[in-house]
Amino acid sequence: MRDALTNSMRASHVLALVLLAAGLMFAAFGAVTNDTFYLRLATEALIFGGLALAVDILLGYTGLLSLGQAMFFGLGAYVAAVVLIAIPSFWLAFGAALVAGILTGLIGGFIANRVRGVYFALITFGMAQVVAKVIYNTRSLGASDGLIGVPIVKINFGLFAVSSDNPVGFFLFTMAYVGALYLIAAYILDTPFGRLLIALKANERRVPFLGYHATSARLAAYVLAATIASLSGALYPMLRGFASPELLFFATSGNAVITVITGGAGTLIGAIYGSVLLTVIKSYVGSWTEHHLIVIGILFMLVVIFLPNGLMGVVRPWVEKLLARKTRS
Amino acid sequence: MSGPVLEARELSIRFGGLRAVDNVSFAVERNLVTTVIGPNGAGKSTLFNLISGLARPQHGTVFIEGKPYRNAQPHQMQKAGLARSFQITNLFFDLPVAENLRLAAQVLEPKRLWTMPVSASRRAAEVVEQLLERFGLQDKAGYLAGALSHGEQRRLEIAVALACRPKILLLDEPTQGMSHGDTEHTAGLIRSLTSDVTVLLIEHDIGLVMSISDQVIVMHQGQKLAEGKPAEVRANPAVQTAYFGHA
Ligand SMILES: Nc1ncnc2c1ncn2[C@@H]1O[C@H](COP(=O)(O)OP(=O)(O)OP(=O)(O)O)[C@@H](O)[C@H]1O
Ligand SMILES: [Mg+2]
Repeated sequence: MRDALTNSMRASHVLALVLLAAGLMFAAFGAVTNDTFYLRLATEALIFGGLALAVDILLGYTGLLSLGQAMFFGLGAYVAAVVLIAIPSFWLAFGAALVAGILTGLIGGFIANRVRGVYFALITFGMAQVVAKVIYNTRSLGASDGLIGVPIVKINFGLFAVSSDNPVGFFLFTMAYVGALYLIAAYILDTPFGRLLIALKANERRVPFLGYHATSARLAAYVLAATIASLSGALYPMLRGFASPELLFFATSGNAVITVITGGAGTLIGAIYGSVLLTVIKSYVGSWTEHHLIVIGILFMLVVIFLPNGLMGVVRPWVEKLLARKTRS
Repeated sequence: MSGPVLEARELSIRFGGLRAVDNVSFAVERNLVTTVIGPNGAGKSTLFNLISGLARPQHGTVFIEGKPYRNAQPHQMQKAGLARSFQITNLFFDLPVAENLRLAAQVLEPKRLWTMPVSASRRAAEVVEQLLERFGLQDKAGYLAGALSHGEQRRLEIAVALACRPKILLLDEPTQGMSHGDTEHTAGLIRSLTSDVTVLLIEHDIGLVMSISDQVIVMHQGQKLAEGKPAEVRANPAVQTAYFGHA
């Protein structure tokens, strides 16, 4: 008998493949039509999808509502920007964002994990506001203007290189990068450690009696999510050439939560679908009204009321059944 | 190894002015069933909380195989070989029955499997299969724990506690709310466990207590009132006054 949770994760992988195929088609179309705008927009959707992935690890798997995940995303962006301005090396920027994500995740986790529930949400919110304000007022980081002048970076893979100013190349690279973050998260969530996070969400009070220190497990989940957010943020200055304080603001954190809930919390791939969907809606609605936030707000309410498990909450069980039937026959 | 497998020495805790557990000491011998009885509010569950690390005693020490545990946390008591079930069903209701058991069994796996997919956890999978069968839950393996009937949830509650292969098992009113047939069956099950675990039980059904216990501890208003073989305890006049309500 195959594990039900493993089976659900496989269904997510099938849906990830569908998205990958769509992405490749989109890239081919963009290449043929010599598009820049939509490829860049789609790249941005994937980068923010990485942030949503981090939120889903906390919200959908560990049962923690973070209202400040953008802090780690923004820190990753600033760290990468600072490194790239000094030395335009992708791998150096990547390494710096990785270390920054782990360290700030540990610090933030020590603070936020002292409390639960609403208080956890408020503390994560507060920490992000404080850090955002500090950056906003730091002249050497460009203050309210943000850190501009991030150079074009050549991402060297030995056999070939991708330049961040090549719309198709950088889109494909971002797809592979966020795809790797997704696969790492999916792998971890299917290990005994990952199941422990799922257990924390289901019933935190029983976890200690299974022989685990619940607070440590929660901290580990927090660090993992911080690292994924930071690594996602690191791509932002490569795409846009700057990092701005808005990346750390509540709008960014809140948007990531909306993305996860719309896409389907606790499905992982829902984070990416949600991000793509919201980006499409924003750019479409934004073309005929400035008030796209109203539309997003109404859409979000409709999702919460009619699709409480999000888009993937509807689609994934259907794929699961398909998979189950296939293994049985 | 000789000596008691579990010993409580002078355990005490008070909540405000209430002495919920008051200077309670006892020892439990290996592979026996020891039952704690006493009227509602006597402090039985609180005693379990003190032993399992859920509550910290203001005074006293718990010994497992002679080793002292003072102010240990629940996960440390689990490592020491102690597992417990709860009076109020405390399961992972949103997860499948099999996953409830697998989660509890995963500590049995070597550390290196911690970072491998759970499908590599053969030992845990074996334990899950055994327990599903032993507790008659095979047909319900894929159900969410929250979707089980009350009796099934109570059985799963015991099975989850057993899944980490403890040396000492604390069961807080395992048959609470069960049908008569289920209660009989569970009593037989508990008795059969003693081939490899030592059981400390809280139970209200006096018939069941008399039939499955090797040793009985009577609690009353936080204190240990009496201790002995079931028949001895039943004949004790103080116990009859306090507990059975007549002398
Ligand atoms: N956390 C707590 N805070 C305050 N009082 C408590 C707490 N836990 C238990 N008590 C009190 O301690 C006393 C003993 O409670 P306990 O649950 O141990 O009784 P019990 O013997 O298990 O009873 P029952 O048979 O009803 O389960 C009760 O008066 C209870 O109200
Ligand atoms: Mg009780």
